[in-house]
Amino acid sequence: MANRAVKSPLPGTFYRRANPQADPFVSEGDRVEPGDVVGLVEIMKNFHEITSEEAGTVERFLVENEDLIEAGQNLIVLSD
Amino acid sequence: MVAGNVEVLEGGIQTTVQDYPGRPGMRAQGFFPAGAMDHFAHRAANLVVGNQPSAATLEVTLGNVALRFETGATVAVCGAPVAVSVDGEALPLWEGRRLEAGSELRIGISEGPGFRMYVAVAGGIDVPSVLGSRSTYTMGALGGLDGRALRTGDRFPLGTESGDAASGGGWRFRESARPPYAREWEIEALRGPQASPDFLTEQDMATFFGRTWRVDRNSNRTGVRLEPQLFQWARSSGGIAGGHPSNILDNSYPVGAVNVNGDLPVILGPDGPTAGGFLCAATVVHAAFWKLGQLRPVGDTVRFREVTIEEAVELDRELDARLTGTSLEQV
Repeated sequence: MANRAVKSPLPGTFYRRANPQADPFVSEGDRVEPGDVVGLVEIMKNFHEITSEEAGTVERFLVENEDLIEAGQNLIVLSD
Repeated sequence: MVAGNVEVLEGGIQTTVQDYPGRPGMRAQGFFPAGAMDHFAHRAANLVVGNQPSAATLEVTLGNVALRFETGATVAVCGAPVAVSVDGEALPLWEGRRLEAGSELRIGISEGPGFRMYVAVAGGIDVPSVLGSRSTYTMGALGGLDGRALRTGDRFPLGTESGDAASGGGWRFRESARPPYAREWEIEALRGPQASPDFLTEQDMATFFGRTWRVDRNSNRTGVRLEPQLFQWARSSGGIAGGHPSNILDNSYPVGAVNVNGDLPVILGPDGPTAGGFLCAATVVHAAFWKLGQLRPVGDTVRFREVTIEEAVELDRELDARLTGTSLEQV
């Protein structure tokens, strides 16, 4: 199966960690299952969890921690 | 809890019940008016389904909302471009449609331009009126549905349809009467109440009206945050009101004021603070206030255009003239 992307439904600032001291939610090579949290997006003074809709292995991130992202933007490439 | 025959399947990031004009005249009691942040799209949506402009609608931020109607109802969605469907069939924006009992209305995620959509239902959203309005005041957690945004599993009732022809569906708001949405906005504003020469220099005001401001991601119904600007200031300090020259003795804030705290201007939205001790360099006019509801907090920019109070009144007349039956056509 081809590579798939985890998208953000929201625009805002993307974070890979729950707080600056925490480990990243996921890193390259990690396995994710549907519903797993892969990052946070900050908008309107709120933080929203970004979850993967599919299972797969994190191949690479398309955005950096604290990047500004748009709604519908691809964040992570998943492979089988 | 509120009972009712519309069920929320998906609430989205912030969907609130809002009416128009909210709770005006209560700032002395500590209430900013709340109400639809884009009062144009709200009123247009009501017009399309035969409601009075005051009827409560759902203000949808960004999207991702799904509703199930247990009774037949006429709905219209107006505002930022977004995919809307009824039981899988596309429903164009700005158009009223009669839904059968059991229908599911789904609103996707808007990629802009614009940020908010208004769902009007013939008869209005019939949550209890609190202090004279059904609007959700997010800062005070009152009005609307239990004073908060909608969540999955919520239910709300609908009011009685007007019996007006449009309340049966089949009417749309003419394209020529719809406002243009953009990523770069021009917003009409009055100078002051605290501008030059007493608080800011002429050069500061020229900068204020001349530059382009980026909208900050942490903008919401309380305030639209812009970006820091190092003003010259007309005074070296705020005197007894505080060290920074943006400080003044506490006073009442106008709705739509561009409040400058330190170096950061914030446009006060419908749920903003009623009073405080920072100066307000300009005030967004009522006819332009709706644009605040459509500013996308990532990527949009604003330029302020200075208008006189006479122009502000005329702009409001023009806006109101577009919100009448002459802007409707049959589908």
